[in-house]
Amino acid sequence: MYDVWQNALAEIEQQISPANFSTWFQDTSLISTQDGMIVIGVKNTFYVKQLRSRYSSLITTALKNNNVEIKSLDFEVKSPTKNKSRSREITTPVDIKKRIKTIKDSRNTSLTTNTGLNSKYTIDNFVVGSNNDLAVSAARSIIDSPGDRYNPFFLYGGSGLGKTHLVQAIGNELLKRNPNLKVFYTPISHFYSDFIDAVRAGKGKEFNLKFRKLDCLIIDDFQYIVGKEKSQEEFFNIFNDLYQLNKQIIVTSDRLPSQIKTVDERLANRLTWAGAFDLQLPKFEDKCAILRAKAELLGAEIEPEAIEYIAENVNTNIRDLEGEFSTILLMSEVRGLTPLELINKGAVNVNRPTKLPSISSKQVIEKVAKYYQLSIKEMCGKSRVAHIKTARQVAMFLLSKELKLSTNKIAAEVGVKDHTTVMHGIKKISTDLKLNFTLRDQIEEIKESIYG
Amino acid sequence: MKIEVSQEKLNKALTNVSRIAVGKVTLPILNNALIRVDDKKVSIITTNLDMAIIDFLPVSSSENGVITLPAKLLAEFISNLPKDEKVEITSKNNKATIKAGKYSSVINGSSADDFPELPEINEKTAVIYKIDINDFKNSINEVMIATSNDLTRPALTGVYFNTINNSLHIAATDGYRLAEKQIINKVENEISAIVPASSLQEVLRAINDSIEEIEITFNDDLVRFRLGEIEIISKLIDASFPDYQKLIPKENNIKVSLNRDELLRVTKLAALFSRSIGGSIICETKKPNLFSVKSITNEFGENNSDIETTIKEEGKISLNSRFLIDALNSLEESEIDLEFSNSLSPILLKNKKNNKYNHIIMPLNS
Repeated sequence: MYDVWQNALAEIEQQISPANFSTWFQDTSLISTQDGMIVIGVKNTFYVKQLRSRYSSLITTALKNNNVEIKSLDFEVKSPTKNKSRSREITTPVDIKKRIKTIKDSRNTSLTTNTGLNSKYTIDNFVVGSNNDLAVSAARSIIDSPGDRYNPFFLYGGSGLGKTHLVQAIGNELLKRNPNLKVFYTPISHFYSDFIDAVRAGKGKEFNLKFRKLDCLIIDDFQYIVGKEKSQEEFFNIFNDLYQLNKQIIVTSDRLPSQIKTVDERLANRLTWAGAFDLQLPKFEDKCAILRAKAELLGAEIEPEAIEYIAENVNTNIRDLEGEFSTILLMSEVRGLTPLELINKGAVNVNRPTKLPSISSKQVIEKVAKYYQLSIKEMCGKSRVAHIKTARQVAMFLLSKELKLSTNKIAAEVGVKDHTTVMHGIKKISTDLKLNFTLRDQIEEIKESIYG
Repeated sequence: MKIEVSQEKLNKALTNVSRIAVGKVTLPILNNALIRVDDKKVSIITTNLDMAIIDFLPVSSSENGVITLPAKLLAEFISNLPKDEKVEITSKNNKATIKAGKYSSVINGSSADDFPELPEINEKTAVIYKIDINDFKNSINEVMIATSNDLTRPALTGVYFNTINNSLHIAATDGYRLAEKQIINKVENEISAIVPASSLQEVLRAINDSIEEIEITFNDDLVRFRLGEIEIISKLIDASFPDYQKLIPKENNIKVSLNRDELLRVTKLAALFSRSIGGSIICETKKPNLFSVKSITNEFGENNSDIETTIKEEGKISLNSRFLIDALNSLEESEIDLEFSNSLSPILLKNKKNNKYNHIIMPLNS
């Protein structure tokens, strides 16, 4: 029954946009086909209405094509978490230690082949969340039909958010499906140093030929192209040739091509022909999911509270998140304590200062005011109106957490009477953060706009 | 489509609805607000597929039609217009022209056909409750504090509405504490439903001074909150809530009456010393008349405070100070009752006179 539904989904996917498909059909399942009465399980009641009114006929046709007899079609709310709900047995510290040990032993080193790909990156161990689902659905469609809809595939986002992982996963998956494909992954810096070497050795032509024979070219960290005009021209030529032949081109960068100063306008345009996909900072829930997936991959058992603690305290990127996670696992092995015990003992200090672009208090205040649609004067005034007050407190909170300003200084910045008001404000927001999901999202978004 | 409305009213409506339309979601249209005019009735709608907010906007004049516009952009534009300006929005070919005195702009929208249709309440089978807005607000705040944000246990991320002996109760727990309150004394219809805490946050936010009563309507998988011009529709959490009535300890041999503010003060004092050990403090009853709260850490030293009250039975229990502070803040009366039976079973806190609210905290084992 499951297979039939997977087939039907594959058929539906061809007919609607990836955004629509991943929104409406993710987490659907076929519950029953008894006597031609089809029941489909969906995430919540909002989906029922939508699927019934917009996609009924599509679903019916797809199922009929898969030889399913249909008399009626109905939908039922069936939350996906219910089926996979994990057993909540309490694991003893000994268990956890033993398991950590076994994974450490069994972990194998991954191989690098002449494709430049590292086989440890797969699409299945890429954790999909709201921060990256669009990019991932595009990646999956590339795997199904390379060189087709998303060509060139341009992926951008800050460092440590999984760009390399995702593009290498595409490469690996393409090879897995068709080992005869010529896939080549290279960071742009290697591309131009190889190019320079080739030209120096008088083998410019061979260099060019080697690339033109590829079926899929993956270029990583494109932003480092800065100032390499000759290499850029060469890349541009290769790009055009491959594009003409409908070969898949994948490029990653930490920003949009138009924001890279010395990139030729023609090239910048072409790179985003098929759209630019971004990877964003994961939200709290996504971070938890990433850590859980990582734990599963390693076979490590870690308490949910410990995962939440790490997710809450690492706010820079996924690389740091995983780094912190590994450190804690390692420490727990060395010290013979479970991760949660370690955290409760205060042995782990996740909040260590991370290098972030320097920002001024003025910027912070500006961004907060802008986010809450207030003028700076309004926000830093005396108003006691609830939403203005909250905005002011968020500003205080961010000034304290992000800039580590003294409360006296903050009082002067946001124009409140004295440091006790500031302390109260910070405390208020910190407490609210624990219960208030929206506030947490808002603060994440403000932070993104400050550092972005 | 055409509407004419004061900046103030439009701004209020947009602030209400635009909050849930600013998430980064897969479907771009979810960042838009749907504006629909149907026979002089104007509604502005946003949804994030977990909930939807609908604001029925009173307008001075209108023409039928429908469009969706980027919610955040629209809200920001309108909020920056002068307060007393009259705003006119007209739409044609998925573009909206917004005029307000000297200010005008054209916003590119998209077709309303792509906007998700909202699920509907079946009014015939629905269960409806009406509650005074202040009672609702206070009760939700008192209970919601105990919700969990562990998404692996969905049932605990919401507030449970249920009927016990014909009275409506709400409850929430995160596995370490539980808050429960009776909000309507006598109701006719039974209900058992978990409303996501995130949706309730939005409901609380939509409350303003002009609203007196809230109407809550439950359907199979859906709940609708109607307050003033605003309607909030939310999914219900599809999970079963723990049978919490069993958890409320009924027979406790240790019962103490305390002044809430005094207990709050000594708890905060003790909490200062227990920060490094996860906020654990010890409460002890000593005959004939002392209730003592203490905390000891090797790092900072120790703290011990006594409150005078009548003690009939001696006992000792270790608690998380943060949970105790939260609980005390949720109690209304100045005199409260604290009950427990031994150091391993949960502690019960409630108001002395009004017994509608129960707060339970699991002890720490130390």
